[in-house]
Amino acid sequence: MKKKIAAVLLSAMLISGLCMGCGQVKERVNEAGESVITVWSPSDEPAIEQWWEEKIAEFNEAHKGSIHLQREAIVRADSYAYEDKVNAAITSNDLPDILFVDGPNVSVYAANEITLPLDDFFTQEDWDDFLDSSKNQNTYDGKIYAVGATESSVALYYNRDMIEEAGIRIPETKEEAWTWTEFYDAAAKLTKDGVVGTNIIMDKGEGLPYVLEQFWISNGTDFVSEDGSRADGYINSKEGVEAAEFLNRFIQDGYANIDPIQKEFHNERAATMLGGSWEVATLENDYPDLNWGVTYFPVADDGGIPTSPTGDWVASVTKNVQDMDAVKEVMNFLFSKENVTTYAKAISKPPTRISSYDVLTEYNEYPRSIFKEQLMETGHPRPRTPSYSVLSAGFSEAMLNIFTGVDAQTALNEAAAATDKDYNKYYSGE
Amino acid sequence: MQKAINKKSERTAAYLFVVPAVVLLAAFLIYPALQTIRYAFTDYNIMRPDRIKFSGINNFIELFQDKNFWIAVKNTLHFTVLVVPFQTALALALALLISSRRRGVSIFRAAYFSPQVTSMVVVAILWTVLYNSNPDSGLLNALLVKLGMEPCGFLNDPKTSMNSIIFMSAWQGAGYQMMIFLAGLQGIPKEQYEAASIDGAGKVKSFFYVTLPGLKNVIQYVIMITVIQAMKLFTQPYVMTKGGPQNSTRTLVYYVYEQGFQKRNFGYACAVAAVFFVIVISLSLGMKKIIKAD
Repeated sequence: MKKKIAAVLLSAMLISGLCMGCGQVKERVNEAGESVITVWSPSDEPAIEQWWEEKIAEFNEAHKGSIHLQREAIVRADSYAYEDKVNAAITSNDLPDILFVDGPNVSVYAANEITLPLDDFFTQEDWDDFLDSSKNQNTYDGKIYAVGATESSVALYYNRDMIEEAGIRIPETKEEAWTWTEFYDAAAKLTKDGVVGTNIIMDKGEGLPYVLEQFWISNGTDFVSEDGSRADGYINSKEGVEAAEFLNRFIQDGYANIDPIQKEFHNERAATMLGGSWEVATLENDYPDLNWGVTYFPVADDGGIPTSPTGDWVASVTKNVQDMDAVKEVMNFLFSKENVTTYAKAISKPPTRISSYDVLTEYNEYPRSIFKEQLMETGHPRPRTPSYSVLSAGFSEAMLNIFTGVDAQTALNEAAAATDKDYNKYYSGE
Repeated sequence: MQKAINKKSERTAAYLFVVPAVVLLAAFLIYPALQTIRYAFTDYNIMRPDRIKFSGINNFIELFQDKNFWIAVKNTLHFTVLVVPFQTALALALALLISSRRRGVSIFRAAYFSPQVTSMVVVAILWTVLYNSNPDSGLLNALLVKLGMEPCGFLNDPKTSMNSIIFMSAWQGAGYQMMIFLAGLQGIPKEQYEAASIDGAGKVKSFFYVTLPGLKNVIQYVIMITVIQAMKLFTQPYVMTKGGPQNSTRTLVYYVYEQGFQKRNFGYACAVAAVFFVIVISLSLGMKKIIKAD
């Protein structure tokens, strides 16, 4: 008899536990009767985590009794781990109200109706205050699907001591930016005594398309067509293959490492680096003894197009939202003039609001002015296509294959075919 | 009469005890497995769970023409065929080394077992550093250069990448099998060794005629679980190589992940998973048969 009771209890416990696990619904209204709004964003450096804590406390204090804002910081262990988590939430219909996504994914989520248009979230006056580069990235099919507080740009960092010793010209204005040939020759000259000429991002993930797409654009092509429907004839075009072969020469000739050590440039093991705007703060704070400078993104030979990467993580509103008014309130708070400015300051990235530059005057001075100038004049967001995930993974793989010996045309053809196949399978009929 | 009632109530109790296990298995194993098979016949894109269309055997037709799928099959078999004998032999050798009752043996036992305690992700990251192709930062290459040899590409060279993963996997996994072998070694009666030595058998002979036959069942068990574990290879390519370079480390499970989550082709990924399931099941059944016939 005792055995039986034990067995009944055990099964009852397990089954009820199971049901609870399955049936759990996101808390929408809490005990205090407040509408609960959840934000998902990648976990970040201490300064940003602190910004979130302060701002959430401030918002909740001001909206006591009506809205309760909470954030879940999700670890972005490598380039695709965050997306994996979002994918799982899409399948289980368990998305937060506000979801931070990486710039190029805006069109992916928009095309699949996972996120909602935000055109009426802000006044026209507010929208006018946001940088075009940011609005471009966040627009899909004529509507704005996301809003971000910060932008990013990539420029060419150089070790001033090494470059002066080698007697290499440093560009002072945008018009004087190095051509590819100059970039290559400089790398060749600077490679010696265990120091490589340059550092090309090698994260085997999103970093590759983010930085390297510019070589395609500068050479007169791109990854995909303007409307995002076709990769064949773009990423694998003659100009595209040229760009890939150009990059490959750095690796094959030993002027860049396929396996760079951590912070290769910072530790004076690489003489130059195509690095993000966020590196300025890292170099200033953590490497005060390094004598460095920064100049414009290199341009293709014979009148190539001046260009630079843009784009950053942005906030979108998902289809699982329930209290739209409360979400609007939160978004207006998070992306107010003041908060965009403080956020950009905390994360050391250029703000998306033009008015923020009046406060963050450091962007009017070198070195940060280079990034501001690039953002306003030469910035190009990553391709806007619903097949971006396939394109990005395909491109990273193709570049790695090229760097380890595969013919550039063959490798890029494969990336183009995979992207077009995905687009035709899911999106061309719409 | 009393006996009959007791029997009946015991049976009910038995069923009740089984219920939790069955419920859990059904919820976390059987139901997902059935769903996988169902989705394998659809065009399910992970971004559009509300627009799933039945697509017949399209996924399977595509699969059999998919070059990358066959490369994944080949890589998975490459890994399994090499890692299983290597890891089993290594584990047996380690077990023999520390089965003697010398002083300080327990330190070695702990040392050999310790990689097993460490998470595979951590081990994989560490080995990525060791394998770094740049002699300035890769320890193994620094050593090679010191010895006057050419640096090796390891994970960056399609010819060596899979073998590099095999080596580190065996290093990480052997500790566990070593423990099983140690238990097996203790089960061999001392008298057999004594008898062998009286008959004039040396160390080598008694290994082949006493130890190996005594360990037969243990070896079969170890090979069986190592094969199944090896077929599931995922963490190492995910952390160390992302399936590259040039497809050389793309395994079946990694391909399922890549198609399903990265490229969001969930239906297609389910088809790959279904084929993978069939391969693993037939492999284990085949092995069972061979062992039985033995």
